[in-house]
Amino acid sequence: MSDSKIVDARDTFCPGPLMELIRHMKQSNVGDTLELLSTDEGSSADVPEWVNKVGHEIISNEKIDGVWHIKIRKAK
Amino acid sequence: MTTQTETPIASMPTEDLQRLVEVAQLVTAARDAMSDEIVTRVAGAMSEGLTLLDRLTRNEGLMHLLKVLDRRETQYLLIALSDAIHAASQEIPAAPPVTGGLACMMRVVRDPGTQEGIRLLSVVGKHLSHSLREQHRRGG
Amino acid sequence: MRILVVGGGTGGTIVANNLARRLSAEISTRKVRITMLSASDKHMYQPGLLYVAFGQMTPDQLYRDQASLLEGSVDFYVDPVKKFELDQNKVVTDNGKIHEYDILVIATGSRIVPEEIPGLAEGAETFYTEASAVRMFKRLREIQEGTVAVVVGVPHKCPIAPVELVFGLHDYFKARGIREKIKIKYHYPIGRIHTIKEVATWAKPEFDRMGIEYETLFNVSEVDAANKVVRSEEGTETPYDMLIAIPPHRGMEVIEQNNLGEGGWIPTDRFKLTMNGHDNVYVLGDTTNLPVSKTGSAAHFEAEVVSENIASIIKIGIPVRDYDGKVYCFIETGHDSATYAMFNYQNPPDLKSPSKPMHWFKMAYNQMYWTSVRGLL
Repeated sequence: MSDSKIVDARDTFCPGPLMELIRHMKQSNVGDTLELLSTDEGSSADVPEWVNKVGHEIISNEKIDGVWHIKIRKAK
Repeated sequence: MTTQTETPIASMPTEDLQRLVEVAQLVTAARDAMSDEIVTRVAGAMSEGLTLLDRLTRNEGLMHLLKVLDRRETQYLLIALSDAIHAASQEIPAAPPVTGGLACMMRVVRDPGTQEGIRLLSVVGKHLSHSLREQHRRGG
Repeated sequence: MRILVVGGGTGGTIVANNLARRLSAEISTRKVRITMLSASDKHMYQPGLLYVAFGQMTPDQLYRDQASLLEGSVDFYVDPVKKFELDQNKVVTDNGKIHEYDILVIATGSRIVPEEIPGLAEGAETFYTEASAVRMFKRLREIQEGTVAVVVGVPHKCPIAPVELVFGLHDYFKARGIREKIKIKYHYPIGRIHTIKEVATWAKPEFDRMGIEYETLFNVSEVDAANKVVRSEEGTETPYDMLIAIPPHRGMEVIEQNNLGEGGWIPTDRFKLTMNGHDNVYVLGDTTNLPVSKTGSAAHFEAEVVSENIASIIKIGIPVRDYDGKVYCFIETGHDSATYAMFNYQNPPDLKSPSKPMHWFKMAYNQMYWTSVRGLL
């Protein structure tokens, strides 16, 4: 069972949710799942764009009570 | 057809306009003259000044000294001391060097001015000693 | 009450000095004792490194003696911590000394780890250390033509540095009269040219106007120093004549060695600034794992909150204030202009147009920094 980790980047503008995700991805192992929390509406587009370009996997992307929850699996 | 209201600039007297232009030129000149070095030096001086001021104002001894210096008597005393040292600095170089020995000593001690001085020193010593004992007793 | 501050950088120095002032009465009656441990007897003004890289400051201007910046009532030792034994409220230093504490403040900062990217240390210049900043300036002076590529590692301290660097390069080559012979290419890991939206929106037309090329979504995977090519995870590559990198960072080794946080980033409460699971340990500055900019200004504002809270806990038993995420960063936009970004957890930055007076404010701040770490500003 892979580790699932919460990356709480709500209410932050710098470095911002995507940069926080990148940092945590680097600290994770291949196969790990991360769940990014963001209050920045841009995240719902920015994050999948980065994930897909670099070659990882988006598991889910949903908005719950004003917070975006994006689950990503580290694929490489 | 005339306009209802004329522009403010157009209605200003010439001297006022001239003054405005001069102020604007002054501001531009100041901005042009300002350089990174000037800002750096002024800011540096002000920062160091602030640090020094903070240190001085938090120095209890200095603040206490300032209060004491404020007193009239303290000022008179300092002036008197300064006058005395000044007078001595005139008198001593002009006086012949002492020859030494008991006879010379007797001559010096016989001088009323000297005896005044010795009495002053001994009274000061008496009060200083008392004050030191008091401070020690109070745990200073 | 023994307060131990580990780390003599911006955050640690401000916390120690603020506490020394607030608790001066308790210190003089020996109810409180403040001790600071640092790895160095010198304090470096890190923002000055970019000036050194452009030949605008000499390295000596970056340093002051740490002891000269501290209140006399702080016991300061140049003896870094080797072991943290948080469950026993004590640390052990390199010299084997044991310091017990009632309250601990960890402000150890962060370090560059260019070795995380193969070839980066060999192939790239950087300005994140004194030696490398001097070397970078010498290379900037020598280069006559070609491509100067800028790449950015994640995470890194001073998020605005990539943009300031590029503006600085443009100005520098213009001043040398060789701007037309130099191609500046900027690479950034996410889908816009800067992580702060307002900065990216404002900077993009500036980059276009200055003729600066850029490639977004470029995450550096390796540097082929022999062939002078930098490659990305995304599969693209840029040949260069000079490569300038903002390297990836980690927390200090001692933090990782003591398992205080993955990557050296200590799990911290974003409002109380206490370490998760240890209410008597405060963490501030770069070494927290908070999603807050790793900057001197964040360390400064965090230190203000931490010192106020520690003092109030000692005096009235409870903390008084939360950290609101405040950060205030100058942005040098080149050509003697600057602006600033100010934000906190609730409010995004609102960039004003760059101006000369703002540049002067930054110049003045380079001096005022020393007064601010003394706790006076």
